[in-house]
Amino acid sequence: MDNKKKLARNKYETNDDMINLIDNLNRDDDVKYNRRAFLKTAVGASVTLGLATLPFSIKAMMNTAGEDDKRIAIAKLSEISKGQSLNFNYPTDEDPAILVHTKDGKFVAYNNKCTHLQCPVFYEKEQDVLLCPCHKGYFDVKSGHPLAGPPQRELPRIELEIVDDTIYAVGRKVRHG
Amino acid sequence: MDKKTCWIVIFLSLAVNVVMLQWTVEAYFGLEYERVYLFTSIACLSVLAALAAFFRWRNLEYKEKK
Repeated sequence: MDNKKKLARNKYETNDDMINLIDNLNRDDDVKYNRRAFLKTAVGASVTLGLATLPFSIKAMMNTAGEDDKRIAIAKLSEISKGQSLNFNYPTDEDPAILVHTKDGKFVAYNNKCTHLQCPVFYEKEQDVLLCPCHKGYFDVKSGHPLAGPPQRELPRIELEIVDDTIYAVGRKVRHG
Repeated sequence: MDKKTCWIVIFLSLAVNVVMLQWTVEAYFGLEYERVYLFTSIACLSVLAALAAFFRWRNLEYKEKK
């Protein structure tokens, strides 16, 4: 029915209480106000997501003090035979790492916190891979890149130097290859 | 800027910010701090664009009713 033909108390936007009770059933308004609320929510979501990047920048600014390129002795060559691994910490005591003497006779080292959920990664001699047992994440022992499972990023590679009989860690590359 | 453009800008900004947050987290854990700053700057610009578009839209939307 046209709004003009209605009795005064039934007209749209009347002050009559019984009419106001069903105001929210007006379809046009319903659509209009939902549309507005939808857009406001989208703006809120966009602002929230955008500002959520700020703490990472602030934390990055606080972390920029040089940490890598320390030179520390890890082990003697004689202490680690082919197919064996050894745990150490590099570049700080809070960064666990693993030194592997591969079946091919090469030495490689990585930080051994899994890039999925930070579980420790172990060397699997039989398959010649690095394995995170928490969620079955496999990493290539030669490159540190993920082969299978949930991890998406490579393990940080620790650069090694062998002088005389000693293996040294001399630097770290977080993203490589 | 008409209302339709405001809608487009706001939803583009939302899409950009989703991607920027993902990339920022990736860069942060990869210790690529230069990229963290870059993505944060883009996200902040995108937020400003969304807010500008929103205020413009609000102006147009509520003016109609009066």
